[in-house]
This record gives sequence, structure tokens and C-alpha cells, in this order.
Amino acid sequence: MVPVDSDDLWFAYNLIAPGDSVMAVTVRKVLREAASGGRDAERVKLKLEIKVEAVDYDKVGTVLRIRGKNVLENEHVKIGAFHTLEIELQRPFVLRKGVWDSLALDVLHQASDPGASADLAVVLMQEGLAHILLVGRSMTTTRARIETSIPRKHGPAIAGYDSALNKFFENVLQAFLKHIDFSVVRCAVIASPGFTKDQFHRHLLLEAERRQLRPIIENKSRIILVHTSSGYKHSLREVLDAPNVMNMIKDTKAAQEVRALKDFFDMLSNDPDRACYGPKHVEVAHERLAIQTLLITDDLFRNADVETRKKYVNLVESVKGSGGTAHIFSSMHISGEQLAQLTGIAAVLRFPLPDLEDIEM
Amino acid sequence: MPRKVFDGVDYDDGYDDDYDYDDLDDADYYGKAQPSEPVKETIKRGTWSCPICTYDNDESMTACDICGVFRNPLPHMNNNHDKKTATAKTSDSSSAKTQWSKTNNVEDNNHVKDGVLRLQANNKASASSSISKESIPSMESSSKLSTGNEQLGDQVSGASSRRNRMGEGTPSVEEIRPQSHNRGMSKSDLPSKSRAPYKPEKWMLPEKEGSDLNQLNLAIVGHVDSGKSTLSGRLLHLLGRISQKQMHKYEKEAKIQGKGSFAYAWALDESPEERERGITMTVGVAYFDTKNYHVVVLDSPGHKDFIPNMISGATQADAAILVIDASIGSFEAGVDPTKGQTREHAQLIRSFGVDQLIVAINKMDVVEYSKERYDTIKQKLGAFLRLCGFKDLSVLWIPLSAMENQNLVSASSDARLRSWYQGPHLLDAIDSLQPPTRDISKPVVMPVCDVVKSQSTGQVSAIGKLASGALRSGSKVLVMPSGDVGTVRSLERDSRPCTVARAGDNVSVVLHGVEETNIMSGDVLCHPEFPVPTAKHVELKVLVLDGSAPIVIGSQLEFHVHHAKEAARVVKIISLLDPKTGKASKKTPRCLVAKQSAILEVVLNGSVCAEEYSNCKALGRVSLRSLGRTVAVGVITRLIED
Repeated sequence: MVPVDSDDLWFAYNLIAPGDSVMAVTVRKVLREAASGGRDAERVKLKLEIKVEAVDYDKVGTVLRIRGKNVLENEHVKIGAFHTLEIELQRPFVLRKGVWDSLALDVLHQASDPGASADLAVVLMQEGLAHILLVGRSMTTTRARIETSIPRKHGPAIAGYDSALNKFFENVLQAFLKHIDFSVVRCAVIASPGFTKDQFHRHLLLEAERRQLRPIIENKSRIILVHTSSGYKHSLREVLDAPNVMNMIKDTKAAQEVRALKDFFDMLSNDPDRACYGPKHVEVAHERLAIQTLLITDDLFRNADVETRKKYVNLVESVKGSGGTAHIFSSMHISGEQLAQLTGIAAVLRFPLPDLEDIEM
Repeated sequence: MPRKVFDGVDYDDGYDDDYDYDDLDDADYYGKAQPSEPVKETIKRGTWSCPICTYDNDESMTACDICGVFRNPLPHMNNNHDKKTATAKTSDSSSAKTQWSKTNNVEDNNHVKDGVLRLQANNKASASSSISKESIPSMESSSKLSTGNEQLGDQVSGASSRRNRMGEGTPSVEEIRPQSHNRGMSKSDLPSKSRAPYKPEKWMLPEKEGSDLNQLNLAIVGHVDSGKSTLSGRLLHLLGRISQKQMHKYEKEAKIQGKGSFAYAWALDESPEERERGITMTVGVAYFDTKNYHVVVLDSPGHKDFIPNMISGATQADAAILVIDASIGSFEAGVDPTKGQTREHAQLIRSFGVDQLIVAINKMDVVEYSKERYDTIKQKLGAFLRLCGFKDLSVLWIPLSAMENQNLVSASSDARLRSWYQGPHLLDAIDSLQPPTRDISKPVVMPVCDVVKSQSTGQVSAIGKLASGALRSGSKVLVMPSGDVGTVRSLERDSRPCTVARAGDNVSVVLHGVEETNIMSGDVLCHPEFPVPTAKHVELKVLVLDGSAPIVIGSQLEFHVHHAKEAARVVKIISLLDPKTGKASKKTPRCLVAKQSAILEVVLNGSVCAEEYSNCKALGRVSLRSLGRTVAVGVITRLIED
């Protein structure tokens, strides 16, 4: 497999579990005895296969580090020696798994599906605060955060307000140009409460005209304005919920997750006995075959030991088998984060189970 | 007990009880202190009783004769004396050293105050000598406030010395904790009890003549387009605050922009954005005087998106006017639970402690001053207000028309209205409001609503309402949470400079020595020795409002306290509270739905200045919002340190 973009690395992270073996080309420092008797440390490029012990995902450097013991015979490296493989973009690697369970296959299918890429760039702002986020297929990353203090308008201080606001917009514009690449992103969304988005949009277009910024001028039509209630990151939910944005991304995972979580919260407020969260409650509900929709974060699979992982896999399979739906939330999306806060596993039930309240969580 | 001071954690209890400042009389204090006199200056005030052995010591002793316990707070600024005693007693106890540094810190703070106040001081030479001596120990002091003020020793007014004295007590406690526990401006520095020793200075207390009118902060709230700004503009015009020429100008400009009916609103909405859209976006501040009060009008935005700004205005309010649009359809839209702002505003206002409300039913001219309409509105809204917690007696109902100038500053001239309404007009209603109680005797706390950097002079000024205490030019203030210390250069109220600002006054404070980047809206100005705690993890007691989505662990909300706002996350729901008894009825519920009261723990993304509600009301009231609605309102019960 060759990871092409950072989303693929995320899929790989989800796939690789302790116990699998990964083979890739890597560099290792090898000690060689030189003729003169002195030891020479040399960096040698070799192909190693290691049995995975731990996986680490580095978001900032977009690299996956896999630590494990060597299993392939090699002239430089002994079997059983520890090594850390670094998987980066565009570097092929081979993954061997003992058991390819349905979840892993799912992940593979998703990864190889070329179409369903969300890739939305969102500028979430309010007066004095702006976040630039990239909503990817399976991850949401914050590219920039800008915060300034903008004085309110009281009489003589109005001039100060205008200049402070313009400076703020200028900073956001710079960040916008730097991080948002229209060739990758489907569309850009500017979201804010009040009129800040309109003001910024106006500023953006004016500056683009003035400075002849081609990327913006060409993609004017791909900029959408959405209303949210605040400029904080959790308002991303509202952006993804907005109808005009929804149209663009309705077939993508991010949108589905947001919708599923919203349904869960709606159920919790309307009929609390038909919604439950927490591993214990969900298990009990499952025993009674009450689960209609299961929401679970991929976090739970990843860090678990084999037994727990198997248990969750079985849970997901049986829910699907009995006609329900299972949504696996990526913990890098905001809805996944929120679900993780809520213990990471939740379910919407077919029929109310009032006695769940009495069971300890 | 002085010893308790050094414990650190539980210094709270009972320590203040034995304290009596009464015998330390102001007048005597400024006796003829000789600088070189090692022993206390001559002022024999009497005796003080040792808290431990209850022996009556001479006023001149800093430590008890019998048991050797230091007197706390140390009297007068007798640094020399203190220094000597301190050094002498260094061997006595390990705590002596701390005591000494403590004293010095105290002295330093005092010097700093003295030095600063010198500018305003009348030269009462009395305390001068004693103060000049302070400069010596200050060198040894580790206090950060001691810089450069040594030389300003000499002339100190009586008031400032008294302040010095006042500073002795608790600051000694306060100072220690930061040094010994190295926590800097840690929150537990200010337990409620330790405020007791703070004694306000003479200039802080209002003059007894009563010539000064009380200040009343009046917030104007209501659904969007109900006529709040127009009403305020009208009032200002009728009371002569806006000249005729100014009014003509507004009218002309408004007509040009096609917004002729907004002419009066333009008096409050000054920015081009607001005028263009015909709405208020931020709280407009204006001043006018009535018979009994200096009224500060806080004209709030009614639009749903600008509620955070409205909250900023509401925290400053003492009373409120809820403006209702009487026209058919508009009133109904306003009280709609999901889309209307009337309810949300009323709930927010109530949660900020406002209990006096005037309901102004505006646009009566549109409904032809019909009594039936007035009665329907009164009945429907009255029921809701009663639910919110407003007492029937403290709600006044005034029908009026801002557009036609009916029933605003004088009894209505319209026959239709006069036929069935004989109550007070708006101005009378404002006058009849009860004056709010002011906390002048507490250390100064001023939440900063706005920070303005003047382009021309490059001065930074902070605008806000003093929640407690008093300020005057030359006072030293501490900006929390950045920790910057600055001096008040001048005070301005209503665009006029003023000398003293007391609790309840809405002023603009020009600061010296504070960088623009270190202060922003949401910060708090406080007394350098009584810093306001900051926190990231708080425990709240809240009431969930109706119409909101359930709150579960992990819910992400916006946390509003005084003027600060932060993104926050619920980490724990501790228990549900029974609305009738107020006791915990269920531990760790799964989620919170509307109309429930509960105690929960919230973690913020950034730290804010906040205090327990029982210590400081202005800094303890919070509102939680999510998805454009106010989800819950409550108070801070505990600040949790992580």
C-alpha cells in the first residue's frame, strides 16, 4: 500500500494493530567492523519486516511510527532486534495481518475509494477570533487560529475599531491564502455569527481584486457563507449541518457522522429512555437486542488489547447483522471528539429501556 | 492567629476574629514620627491584646510580651521599628523572617501606594517622617511593587497612611502565600474572610452631603426591533443631552440612507455598520440625569447573534427596562420561546441579579393605545416574569410610544392613553427605582468591558463598571490575568473627567504603565494586594433553561462570566438539585434537561478571572450558551485548582 495523503496515513493507523507485521524500506544505523578494527556506523537502506508492538501517529509531521521486533532474516539486522519503521507519504509498505476482520476490510475499502473525499476548508470566525479548519475525509485539522482584541465602538474610539478590524481581517486573509489550496479543497466556507462573515467576504474579494490574487478570483464561486452561533471550534457542527454545505458533502463520512450524532442528541432530549451511552449501558442494551444505531469511535478499537477489540468488533458485526446500523466515528473529527468525551460509545435504541437509569455506568 | 498565616491553606478560619482595628485611630497615627527612632513612634494608642495569651500589650510592641507572638498586622509603617524588631526577633522563630519580609512587603505595597498618592496628597506632614523611613526596608523587600517608589516617601496624606495601615493586615497574609508557596497570583489568596481587614480610605466613602446623585446603570433589553435604541435616543433628546442641531444632523443623514425612522436610534448606534443595517450590534452607552439618579443607559442589541454583547451590558446593570413591541404579531414573535429574544433577555437579566424591572410597552401608537392589547401583553408576559423570579411589586408596566413621544418624560398628551392609564411616566418610573447597594468598602474590582487605545495620545484606557471599591487618579491597579501593574492616570465619566470613581460608577480609566497587549476585554482591574483569582476549572450551580438541548458530559458550551467568554466543556455532572429544597437529589445523572438545577464541573479552554459567587457577585455569575441559545445560567460555587 502506498499512502497518498494524510487521510491514508490515518487509515493505516487504524489498520495496523499490535501483532501484525509490516514490511517496508527503511534506514537503519548499522555497525560494521572495518578492516582496521574500528567500528563504523553506517546508515544502510534495507527492507525490514517487523512484528508490530506499538504504533504512533504523528499528526504534525504526518508520519506513522511503528515499533516492533524484526522477523525477517537480514544480513545487517538480527531477528528479534527492535526497530522503528517510519511510514511517510508516498512510501510503499506491506501489511500482513493474522486476521482481516470486517472492520479492517471496511477501512481498506474506504481508503481506496477515490470519490468520497470531504475536503472542506472552513473559516470559523467571530469578532476578534478566527479558526481555519480543514475537514478531510477522516480528519479535521486546525490550520490556524487568530485572536485579537477589537475594541467596541464608543464615540471617539470608532476609528480604532475600524483599523483593528481591518488588521484582523488582513491576518485572516493571509492565513486563508497560506492554508487553503483550492486544488485540493472542494469549497471554502466562511462562517460566523452576526455580520462578520459578510464583512470578511467583502474584504476578501476587494483585496483579491486589488492585489490580483488569482486563487481567490478564480474560485469566487466556491466560497460559501454560513451562519453559526459562535466562532469557537465546536461550532463546526453547525457548519456541517447547514443545508448548502450539506449538499456538497452529503456523501462523505464527516457529514454522516455529524448527522448520526445529532440524531442521538435529539433522541436523548425527546425520549431519553431510547438513548444510552457508556460501555456498560450499551452492552446491556445489546444483550436485549435493543440497539438500532450504534455510535462508536475508532479510538476504542485502536488502543484496546486483542480481547476488547474483538469484543467491539463482534458488537459492531452483530448490530449490523440484526438490521441496525453502526457508525464508526473518526476521533479526529469534531463529532468524534464529542463522542469520545461522552465515553466513546453510544446507542440509539429500538424501544425504550427505562431501567438503564438504575444501572451504574 | 498570626501563626496561622504561615500555614498556607486554612488560614481562613477565625483568624480575623481577634482583630480590632478600632483602636488604631487615624488621627493619632500620624503622630510626630521621628525617622530615626527605632522604637515605634510616639503614638501611644493604647493596648492590643495578644490573640494567644490574651495579654494586653502596649501598643508599641509588635510582639506579645508574654508569648512572643507577633502582632498581626503590624502597626503603623514603622519600618524601622519593624526592621529592628524583626531582626531582633529573627532568632525567635523561623517564621520571623517570613514575618519580616512580609512586613516589608506590606510596607512596600504601602509605599507604593504612598508614592503614587503623593501626587494627589495634601501635605499633611504628619506621617511624612514615618513614611520616609520605609524606604530602607523596601530595599530588602522582595515585593515586586517596590521599584522606584522609595524616594517618594515624603508627603503622604492622612488618607494614604490610613490606607497603609489597612494594607497591613491581610496583605501580610496574602503576600506570604505567594512567596512561600510560590504560586504567584493564586486564587486561594483571597478567601472571603480576609476581606475584612481591608478598610476603605476616607476619599472612597461618598460625601455625606448627598449632593452627588446615585449612579444607576440601566440596561435596555428586548426583542429585536422593539424600539430600544429609539427609546434611548428619544430620552436623551428630551432631557437635553443631544442638541437640536445634532438631532437634525441625524435625521438628515438617516433620511439620506433611507432610514428616516431610525433617526433617534442613531444617537446610540454610532458605527456605520449599525446604521447601515439599522440594528444595534454592541452595547451603546449614554448618560443622562433624572431627579434622583445619574443614569447610565446600556442600550443592548436585540439580535440573537449579539447576545454575548448583551450579556456584557447586562452584567453592569442595576435595573433594566424590557422594551416590548406592542404591534400585532411582533409581540408574539418576541415571546416565542425559540425564536424570540424577550424571554431569553428576561431570563438573562434576572440571572445577573437585577430584580427591578420596568416593562416599557412601546409602539402603542400602532395599536391605537388600546387597553385590551396592553392588558393581554401584561398578563402573558407577567406570568412569564413571575416564573423567572421577578416579584410582582418590582415590575412596573408603562405603555408608551417612543415615536410619538407619549408617556416618556411627562404624562401622555394623547387622550386615548390618558383615558385608561394614570400611572407614572417612564422618567418617574426610573426615579422610583430603589437605589442599589454598593460595595464601596471592598477592595476595588473592575471588570473591563472594553479597552481603547487612543490614537492621538497613545494611552490605554479601560472602560467598565466598578463592581466594588473605589479608584482615583494615582491609584495602583493590577490587571488580571496578565498580572500587569499600572497606575490610574485619570478617570473619565460621561466624557467628563472625575476625581473619584466608586462602586457602581461606569467609568473610563486611563492607565499608565500597562501595555496594550496585556489588557483586553474580559480582564479585571483589581487592587494590587487583593488580586482576583483566575481559574480554568470551575464548579457551577446552574439552572437549565427550557428549550435547550440536553447537557451531557462532554457538551461543549460557551462560558460567559462578567465580560469574559471562553469555550468550555462539561467534565462532570455532580448532582441534580431539587428545585424546592435545593439539596442534591441525584448523584451523577446521565444528562441534564430543561428546568433542572444541578451542580456541574466545567473546564475552560483558557483561564478567566472569576470568583465564587459568595465572595464577589459580579465575578461569580455565569451563563452557558450553545448553538445560539442560552442553555443555562448559574453561579460559581468553587474554583478548582488543577
